[in-house]
Amino acid sequence: MSIGGSDLDKAIQQLRSCRPIPENQVRELCYKARELLIEEGNVVGVDAPVTICGDIHGQFHDLMELFRVGGDVPDTNYLFMGDFVDRGFYSLESFLLLLCLKVRYPDRITLIRGNHESRQITTVYGFYDECLRKYGSANVWRYCCEVFDYLALGALVTGAATSLSPTDGPLAENTNLDALPSQDEEIEIETLNAAGEIMYRYARNSDSQSSNTSQPNSNPASSSPVQTPSRVGAAGTGATSSANGSSRNDTGAVLCVHGGLSPLIDTIDKIRLLDRKQEVPHEGAMCDLLWSDPDEIDGWGLSPRGAGFLFGADIVKCFNHKNDLSLIARAHQLVMEGFKEMFESTIVTVWSAPNYCYRCGNVAAILELGEDGSNAGYVRRSNGDQGGGGGGWVLGSNVGPNGQATNSNRRLSSVLGESLQQRSRDGPGRRYRVFEAAPQDSRGMPAKKPVADYFL
Amino acid sequence: MSSTQIPDLRTLLGSRRGGPSRGRGRGRGGPGASHEDQAAVRDSAVRGTDQDAAGSRVSCVELGYLHDPYAKLFATQPSTRRLPLLNRGTYVRTSAIDLLVDKFLTTDPESPKQIVSLGAGTDTRYFRLRDAYPSTKIVYHEIDFPSNTAAKLSSIRRHPQLLTKLSSSSAQQTPNLPPAAKSYDSPIYNLHALDLRSLASTEDGPSTTLPNLDPSAPTLILSEMCLIYLQPKAVSDILDALLNKHIPAPTPVSLVLYEPILPEDAFGRTMISNLSTRNIHLPTLTAYPELADQRQRLKKYGFETGFCAADTHFIWREWVGDEEKARVAGLEMLDEHEELDLLLKHYCIAWGWRDGPEDNVFTNAWSHIRKQEKG
Repeated sequence: MSIGGSDLDKAIQQLRSCRPIPENQVRELCYKARELLIEEGNVVGVDAPVTICGDIHGQFHDLMELFRVGGDVPDTNYLFMGDFVDRGFYSLESFLLLLCLKVRYPDRITLIRGNHESRQITTVYGFYDECLRKYGSANVWRYCCEVFDYLALGALVTGAATSLSPTDGPLAENTNLDALPSQDEEIEIETLNAAGEIMYRYARNSDSQSSNTSQPNSNPASSSPVQTPSRVGAAGTGATSSANGSSRNDTGAVLCVHGGLSPLIDTIDKIRLLDRKQEVPHEGAMCDLLWSDPDEIDGWGLSPRGAGFLFGADIVKCFNHKNDLSLIARAHQLVMEGFKEMFESTIVTVWSAPNYCYRCGNVAAILELGEDGSNAGYVRRSNGDQGGGGGGWVLGSNVGPNGQATNSNRRLSSVLGESLQQRSRDGPGRRYRVFEAAPQDSRGMPAKKPVADYFL
Repeated sequence: MSSTQIPDLRTLLGSRRGGPSRGRGRGRGGPGASHEDQAAVRDSAVRGTDQDAAGSRVSCVELGYLHDPYAKLFATQPSTRRLPLLNRGTYVRTSAIDLLVDKFLTTDPESPKQIVSLGAGTDTRYFRLRDAYPSTKIVYHEIDFPSNTAAKLSSIRRHPQLLTKLSSSSAQQTPNLPPAAKSYDSPIYNLHALDLRSLASTEDGPSTTLPNLDPSAPTLILSEMCLIYLQPKAVSDILDALLNKHIPAPTPVSLVLYEPILPEDAFGRTMISNLSTRNIHLPTLTAYPELADQRQRLKKYGFETGFCAADTHFIWREWVGDEEKARVAGLEMLDEHEELDLLLKHYCIAWGWRDGPEDNVFTNAWSHIRKQEKG
């Protein structure tokens, strides 16, 4: 049976309801996907507008929540930065759905490889076992691993707007209207909750923004998504009052990679020269791209993960300057607030698995980059209209997961000034949509509710 | 690659949660046990936590984190490999308590020592200590629900290498354990089958006595995830009785606690909610949310000579030597660092002591242990 056309749509439909497709269809799908992926370079070129997503880790219902919040495929262009599988209970359905969407809408969705898209890691962290359990053999796991070997290592987003076209959405409760930039200012960062309500909005070079780049990233336990951040800036943002001093340029290209940089790679062209069609090696450039982490250090450091490296602000700024990048977007590390900008907004971590492993209590985020120019291509999502479960946690407020934070009277008028046309050396306008785990009752949990392990 | 090498994540889905515990007393009653009242269901859920701990211990031993030839003898379920971060957490927990116990036993090594392990369950510490400190005079007490003590004795009966440890010398005959035995008394090892709450004082004195408890031997009381399941008032009543009736001053007494902290952040709230779906409730967690609360609580119980607490993240960094860290880090590839940090910061070791006017055994033993100042 061939998978194409209506069969593919049928498979998508089946996977959307979290039901695995038959083994022969998986084989066919993986074959098609490989044909498609083999044509992609190691670094895929992607045009804005695009929505950049971090780790998914088999949390299928949360992936559905992501699509609800970010817009559906193919209406929204997506770039997923790897780690589709392992840890969650629905790695299979999550990965196969993304793969189906890739085959169905190849220009609308980009998948790059994470360190969990590996034979070795999936045998330890769950995907292998899940395939064995759901199909009775390791065949499907093997097909998927063959696809992993063909996934690109990175993506380069070009054509992103430097300023955001502000959403016309209502303010989230507790958002301070006075703290929002005035209408003639360029919007650099906007943070929306799952209902599309504005939580934060920052103008470029606004004095009211304080950089929290000095905030140590080693203390996730102390940060709670419902606490008021101690700094003026939005939790997670490192924007940007000092951005003019950075070495950005006006090309606005954004490099997306799962982990980070490698001491063996100083130009993007060097990534293009790698032979990627293999299992993730234990060391070397390809391994580093998938394993490394930014850290508050100078230069390079050893990674506690045992693979990849730690790299400091100087490394990022130098790399971005040399490669005409304004931003590196990466995933790989759990951040409680869903996203975290570091090093004067030269790099951002995007994390898209809410309540990771059903245990961590974190919120998730996706990053939207608008299209350069008039932003005509930017379509406001309608997903915020859905009531009920839409009440996201609101950063900087005490509104709980189900808090009713709608106030249609407090709409901001849309700002579409000429300033949008201006280009600076600064990074792209960044809209973060923050969302929490899908409501429990929407998950057809396996047999019993998943129970995260604790020390008892 | 054989499937036995592959961690079976089905265990995470609940196979451990169901089913009777194979002829070893009662398993957890579960929410479906309609004839039990709520308190009984909770007690039962607490009793069931012991096999969690046993399984975690076995996983750690099999991967080389811990050396414990006895762990497997007590586990009733087939061993399942835990995720690396859980193995690391179990390692930190066990080695931290081992360190405190070691310092205690090796201070004035000639003098007799006593250890009282609350809710000991299938803990193997007694057996390991007999190997590690063959010449130290230790009176060891374990207290647990009768279903747990009976199960433990049944395991001991089945395994000669455990049975021989119940006698003080090899010359002595192996003790006779009747099949239905729920408790065991001897000058060196005692298994007390009782509900901890019965230790609390009544007006006439302790309502329950513990055979072979030496009121004059310096005593370390150990609660690894045990007192956390009781109400704060019950805990302070139990400790009041232990410190003032069972082992009164001037005998030096200490308490070592291992339990979660920080219930109010996102991780903590999720923990409370997840565990409550298993009918596991942690009343003292909200009463003593932070390290500072843990220290104050120890002082209030009467451990006024010293009262310290450190989270297990600090303990991993500060108590474990570099060489040992490298050894442990090399055992398994660990890709869950942020999650591990979160997890380790949400558990603590708290240790407090009351020395005697002429016996500073705990001060001498523990004064060089690194304390966490913040938190």
